[in-house]
Amino acid sequence: MEIQKPHLKKISDTEWEIPQSYKKEMNVPAKIIGTKRIVDEMDLQVYDQITNVATLPGIVKYAFCMPDGHSGYGFPIGGVAAFDPDNNGVISPGGIGFDINCGMRLIKTNLTYKDVQPHLKTLVNNLFDRVPAGVGSKGFVKLSSKEFKEAVELGAKWCVDKGYGWKEDLEYTEENGCMETADSSKISDRAIQRGLNQIGTLGSGNHYLEIQRIKEENMFDKEIAKKLGFFDDQIVIMFHCGSRGFGHQVATDYLQTFLKVMEPKYGIKILDRELACAPFNSKEGQDYFKAMKCGVNMSFANRQTIAHRIREVFSNVFKQDAEDLDMKTVYDVSHNTAKLEKHKIDGKIKELLVHRKGATRAFGPGRDEIPKSHRNIGQVVIIGGSMETGSYVLVGTEKGMDKTFGSTAHGAGRTMSRTKAKRMFRGETLQKQMEKSGIYVKSTSMPGLAEEAGKAYKDVHEVCEAAEEAGISKRVISLIPIGNVKG
Amino acid sequence: MKTPITIITGYLGAGKTTLLKYILKKTKDKLAIIVNEFGEVAIDTKIIKGKNINMTELAGGCVCCSLTGEFEAAIDEIIQKINPDGIVVETTGVAEPEAIIVDIEENIPKISLDGIITITDADAIIKYPTIGHTGRMQIEMADIILLNKIDLINKKQIYKVENKIKKINDNALIFKTKNCEIDINYLFGINAKKIVKEHKHHEIKIDHFVYSSNKTFDKEKFEEFISKLPKEIYRAKGFVKFKDSSYLFNYVAGRDNFERFKYNKNELIFIGENVNKIKNKILKNLEKL
Repeated sequence: MEIQKPHLKKISDTEWEIPQSYKKEMNVPAKIIGTKRIVDEMDLQVYDQITNVATLPGIVKYAFCMPDGHSGYGFPIGGVAAFDPDNNGVISPGGIGFDINCGMRLIKTNLTYKDVQPHLKTLVNNLFDRVPAGVGSKGFVKLSSKEFKEAVELGAKWCVDKGYGWKEDLEYTEENGCMETADSSKISDRAIQRGLNQIGTLGSGNHYLEIQRIKEENMFDKEIAKKLGFFDDQIVIMFHCGSRGFGHQVATDYLQTFLKVMEPKYGIKILDRELACAPFNSKEGQDYFKAMKCGVNMSFANRQTIAHRIREVFSNVFKQDAEDLDMKTVYDVSHNTAKLEKHKIDGKIKELLVHRKGATRAFGPGRDEIPKSHRNIGQVVIIGGSMETGSYVLVGTEKGMDKTFGSTAHGAGRTMSRTKAKRMFRGETLQKQMEKSGIYVKSTSMPGLAEEAGKAYKDVHEVCEAAEEAGISKRVISLIPIGNVKG
Repeated sequence: MKTPITIITGYLGAGKTTLLKYILKKTKDKLAIIVNEFGEVAIDTKIIKGKNINMTELAGGCVCCSLTGEFEAAIDEIIQKINPDGIVVETTGVAEPEAIIVDIEENIPKISLDGIITITDADAIIKYPTIGHTGRMQIEMADIILLNKIDLINKKQIYKVENKIKKINDNALIFKTKNCEIDINYLFGINAKKIVKEHKHHEIKIDHFVYSSNKTFDKEKFEEFISKLPKEIYRAKGFVKFKDSSYLFNYVAGRDNFERFKYNKNELIFIGENVNKIKNKILKNLEKL
């Protein structure tokens, strides 16, 4: 059971290959993106997991691991894999993640640090009250199960129709806030029960909401930064959350289904049960895809509702309309999804099912999926760092389309388990330290705060730099937190 | 008095529900079990809706609860309403147990962690060469591991699986089971509430011996003695007197736990495999402390 570190073939300073010969069952080689240091420090299980992914039927080109990769359920977090539906390609809940469409949204303002600083504590405290955090927290969009089913089929659009947000929010959300053909009849009652009152909630773990400050000196590409509406000393709001218990239940339900049919019905043999999957073009695979889309949409609706609450809080504190505060959505990106996308393979356009787990879509300039006003600069990517190190805005690149199916990192990536972080750091100490350096934090749980200590994560700067060096995304700006609500 | 809590983890289909049903059949305690779904455990019983839990009453005074609110609040509600002798939590098959365990120890003062039981599917471990990330974490965190479904594989394979598990966690007690059948005395620690009620240990049919005396132990020396207990001792539990107070004491798989408790003598029970062979040596060492 001991995992031996495989020999990594160096392709470039930021690309490392594990050849197909490493495991006899591999269908393609595996590739890890990162500097030598990042790759050396990855936990050994990542190598085992990413090469297990490479054995799945129908996988195309490579099984990828992004620079923020670490071991997860079946696939590593930071795993990207594309499957060809016409060549027995599969869909796997372990390759999407349990928190389906966990993702990030960034909202801008026309306020400066000077405007916000005197109100910082009030803002954070009000956000803490208005955006419920913590395990099992309940939102205040109270829904019947019929309404909930509508919401998970329509996503953020459902919220906007109900008055939770602006029409243009949809344009600046991946998939326009709704994956089409989501089908709530493919969802178990238990999943619905778990999700029913969770729209508008952050949740626990690494989910958070942050007030951040922009500084001109942290702009890597001033021209693009300007185009995206950023200016020196501006205040922006970033948050990270997903589909809560709902997505988790959807994934668990289908994992069980897949375990039953995978081998007896479809003859698929896998190395690790956590990689349970079904052919994409099978009944079970299609059912899960439609159910997963409900998870994706629930998460879009969740973030849309939270965005609305944030606007309310700012509007109340500054006694101005959110429109007058220019609180537009910069972009909303997904982390844990599987999507049908067109990619160029050996000169031909092919439709592939791209799994991204703890990885972000980062389409290069020109793609139709990008909102018109950003189309010539590439898709916006939001990278959440730890509370202590700050976050990033990147854009997708042409090169990334070729290299990683238009995918990049999603965050800093853990370096140690939650338990270990809790043993090493104390939430109270961390909170005091952060307050000293000008960051006001409010958390539902002190041990939970300790889990998210900066030292429990990789260096976000190094992750973003490596992604840029590998050519899969480009840095635009880094952001510094000044206030944080932690789930 | 803290309520002991036992966590049951294991992969989807490993046998968590089977074990729960088995425990309910055998236990003489009033247990509150927290399950993901009422499903197989409580069929056709009336569901009583609470604030943070839904509940059904089972035969023998046990109750089955499913969470509707936050875990902490649910635990409070269970203790308040039912005041059980112990709480058993069935985690979901895909849960990484670590988060819940640390939260319990630090956040909920009313309960103490009695043990983490992980059920592994021996047949599946033979079938799939990799023990996945979550499966591995479940094994790593365990005090007690049930190597279940051994009837589906041969002796050589059992040996192989056991070794594989030991490489991940060498401290846990490993029991080979079929349908999760195991003497439940191995699974649970001593129960303060029950002792107060009955004033004696309940009959134990498994291999064990008892120590009793009136002397006062030095806490450090006693802890050192416990840390050196031979592997044949699976569990030790009972009362021990230190200078400052008496304590309720529980030991499982290298992990010990003391809780202040009013009692006037030392009464310890040691449980394990063929313990009579090492009984005299252990009793002698205790006397020498």
